[in-house]
Amino acid sequence: MAVKIKTNDKHIQALAEIVGSPRLILFHQEDLIAYDCDGFTLHKHLPKAVVFPKDTQEVSRLVRYCSDNDLPFLARGAGTGLSGGAIPVNGEVIISLVKMKRLLSVDFENRRAVVEPGYVNLKLTNSISDKGYYYAPDPSSQYCCTIGGNVAENAGGAHCLKYGVTTNHILGLEVVLPNGDIIDIGQNGIQDAPGYDLLGLLTGSEGTLGIVTKITVRILKNPEAKQTVLAYFDKVIDGSQAVSDIISAGIVPAALEMMDKTAIEGVEAAAFPVGHPKDIEAVLLIEVDGISAGIEEQINQILEVCKNRNVREVRAARDEQERGRWWANRKTGFGAMGAISADYLVQDGVIPRSKLPEVLSRINKISEESGLRIANIFHAGDGNLHPLVLFDARIPGQSEKALAAGSACLQVCADVGGTITGEHGVGIEKKEEMRFVFNDEEIIAQTNVRDVFNTKNLLNAGKLFPSPGRCVEIKKEMKAAAAQ
Amino acid sequence: MSVREVDLKADPSCATTTNSLSNYLWKDAPDENKWADCVHCGMCLESCPTYEITGQEQHSPRGRVHLIKSVAEGKLKVNEQFMDPVFACLDCRACTTACPADVDVGGLIEEARGQVRQAMPLTGIKGTVSKFFLQGLFPHQDRLNTLGSLLRFYQKSGIQKAVRKTGLLNVMPQHLVDMESIMPEVGQPVRKKYKNAEVIKAKGETKNEVAFMTGCVMDVMFSDINDATINVLTRNGNDVTIPKNQTCCGALHVHAGDRDTGRKLAKQNIEAFKDADTIVVNAAGCGCMMKEYAELFRDEPEWHDKAEEFSAKVEDISKYLHETGYDKPKAELNTRITYHDACHLAHGQGVRQQPRDILLDIPGVEMVHMPNADRCCGSAGIYNITNPEMAGEVLENKMQNVPQDVEMISMGNPGCMLQMAMGVKKYGRNQKVVHTVQLLDWAYQKEDKEKGGN
Repeated sequence: MAVKIKTNDKHIQALAEIVGSPRLILFHQEDLIAYDCDGFTLHKHLPKAVVFPKDTQEVSRLVRYCSDNDLPFLARGAGTGLSGGAIPVNGEVIISLVKMKRLLSVDFENRRAVVEPGYVNLKLTNSISDKGYYYAPDPSSQYCCTIGGNVAENAGGAHCLKYGVTTNHILGLEVVLPNGDIIDIGQNGIQDAPGYDLLGLLTGSEGTLGIVTKITVRILKNPEAKQTVLAYFDKVIDGSQAVSDIISAGIVPAALEMMDKTAIEGVEAAAFPVGHPKDIEAVLLIEVDGISAGIEEQINQILEVCKNRNVREVRAARDEQERGRWWANRKTGFGAMGAISADYLVQDGVIPRSKLPEVLSRINKISEESGLRIANIFHAGDGNLHPLVLFDARIPGQSEKALAAGSACLQVCADVGGTITGEHGVGIEKKEEMRFVFNDEEIIAQTNVRDVFNTKNLLNAGKLFPSPGRCVEIKKEMKAAAAQ
Repeated sequence: MSVREVDLKADPSCATTTNSLSNYLWKDAPDENKWADCVHCGMCLESCPTYEITGQEQHSPRGRVHLIKSVAEGKLKVNEQFMDPVFACLDCRACTTACPADVDVGGLIEEARGQVRQAMPLTGIKGTVSKFFLQGLFPHQDRLNTLGSLLRFYQKSGIQKAVRKTGLLNVMPQHLVDMESIMPEVGQPVRKKYKNAEVIKAKGETKNEVAFMTGCVMDVMFSDINDATINVLTRNGNDVTIPKNQTCCGALHVHAGDRDTGRKLAKQNIEAFKDADTIVVNAAGCGCMMKEYAELFRDEPEWHDKAEEFSAKVEDISKYLHETGYDKPKAELNTRITYHDACHLAHGQGVRQQPRDILLDIPGVEMVHMPNADRCCGSAGIYNITNPEMAGEVLENKMQNVPQDVEMISMGNPGCMLQMAMGVKKYGRNQKVVHTVQLLDWAYQKEDKEKGGN
């Protein structure tokens, strides 16, 4: 049945036919503007259209249509990504997966659940918590981000120190390949299946290898007990030494978070203040969980470590409410920057823990030189640093300055033996910075892998990798010519 | 054809904004500082009922803020396409609660609606109907009273029965028929009842003096709740005055983009209550509006100050009782109830625990938790009249969360009460929909009766 929409564009008409309703396609500029960026707002591009498929078959037909007609396309979930992975830089057709948001099945016996890609991360935990289970990866955006997006970005979170990132919790995927074929990988959830680890390759591929339409995830039994400690330090160096001491004492905290002075100013000015003092240089949030026996001992050990490092004040949460408030304050940390700055750019470097004081002082220097404030929120336990560059896009030149400052922060991370992203992905934001950690050959080796899946490079093109250097490009073309 | 990296566009240039390009051409434009707080993080998405239903970002809080900002940047015009997302917002403020940066989405939406209404005044039947209600009816207590009398006549004379039998309702749109069917029984407005009373004295010793905002529709359609409010206040040592010149709070006008009428009404109320120290209100929507009057006077500093002073005196009945103290009733009500958070109470005024505490203080009341209790019911002022389809879907989601085995649903806002009553009827449920103060009043009455009987 023909779908009635006002358009002269045959592609838009054809896409509308696939989704079967004028309410499931957007193509007016006023509606498309809401899709011109994701959580990364420095680049904005209008998509050609946004379509809302209801099931895998529709995704497949949409993809096949785009592929057959050479229309660039990409997948989008809640659009909370921080590296621009869902921004339609080539005027893509956006395939929004938010209508595919069901929890398909839960198998407590084998500890797994099957979800559609638009299912929101926290909803999984909320719907199995009464049975004593939860889904471990907990990015700060878990209130609203989708599990499909988590797979694309291999999302992390505060509790990944102990439990691992998204890839450690994915047991199977149904994927629509860039030509429209539907494949299943690892669907039975069997560990370490023979052959290449395609699950590992797809997870974190930032939507460049295929569109995930069904996800089998691992679910975990709730820990018997958990306790959280808050510690205020007058000096960053003491805070970061305390982090190292906790880890070297053999404790594996579920989470070990740090915020610096500017970050504290932000969260305290925003919607979930908890009364952190404004004159300290670092606050640590340390959570341990596991069987009840031994938790108290670990907490005492942590208190002791902090005291040995000149902590100003340290204590365990009095009750679940207080623990909840501390986490709400931390988890809304990025958005909270809106309260002290018109815009922010969040970076995502990873460094060896021991380098923290050095890196923070170099970031301070970048801040001074650029004239922009930089707040630091830090998954300290696993060395994943989030410098938040605060700026105002309305002031001419500040956006460019912010980008340059963010890039300089990543250079520092790479310099000290770290890397440029821990959990937010490369997207368009950090693709040039990939050169800090890979040379041209290494980049080409990876784009060759991509080309196996994404032969026409119509799916989410222009993300994840920088354009290769000119000479390398020529070399590649010559090689191709020679082969013919 | 395949796309090669080298064919791709060069890195896109950075987005910058220039105010001179703004397409807001009328006074009282959306406030730039409000959207400057939004960093587009998306934490608001799941809180938004219209995003939940549509899955479309132009119908999400951050999407709407983005569109409102885009008009100021000259990328969009104030037109029909812009109007749709801006007017489809329920104005439930759930996003304000969810937002880490406290972005005032509600304020932006109302300002944007003001621009839409100035750019595209309502014409035809919509214009006539809107004008009739917003300008011709709500601000005029005498006309409302006349309407109330007519409704009373309609209900008591047998005409209602006749109309329902004849099928006259069949020719009306379904959502209006649904509303007719749950119309509360209309009683005598308290403003009429206490017309000649300077002060309604406290029973026993006077501890406080309060002025009572009766609400316009509230006093006509729900005068029994206003009666209950006065009983509960006087019972707890409050002298109650009902300032004569008070009028409609203007919330419905401001929601609809008619900010000029909103300002007119606000000024009248500010004047009417200028001698009061405390202004008690039992309708969450009115209370929230009255707490935000200053927002209407960004260009009138003198009134802005007066409005702030006025707003500081406004308090919801449940919060007022909770803070000043109330007798715990001794009679048992023996009922299982659940509580629905009115948006403009929970999200708008941060009042969540106080009404629950009051209800729990009534002996024999068993409270059953309603999941997502602070999710909008779809009433949203007159949203259920203007956007019946979306309101219906929001209501359906709400009703799925109402526990099956309760006898009553308590709440603090008349708009929600009408909508929830409609939900109860539509989905074949049997709960009674009540205002929190009514339950307290009934417990007092029962206590008095039991005492009298002894």
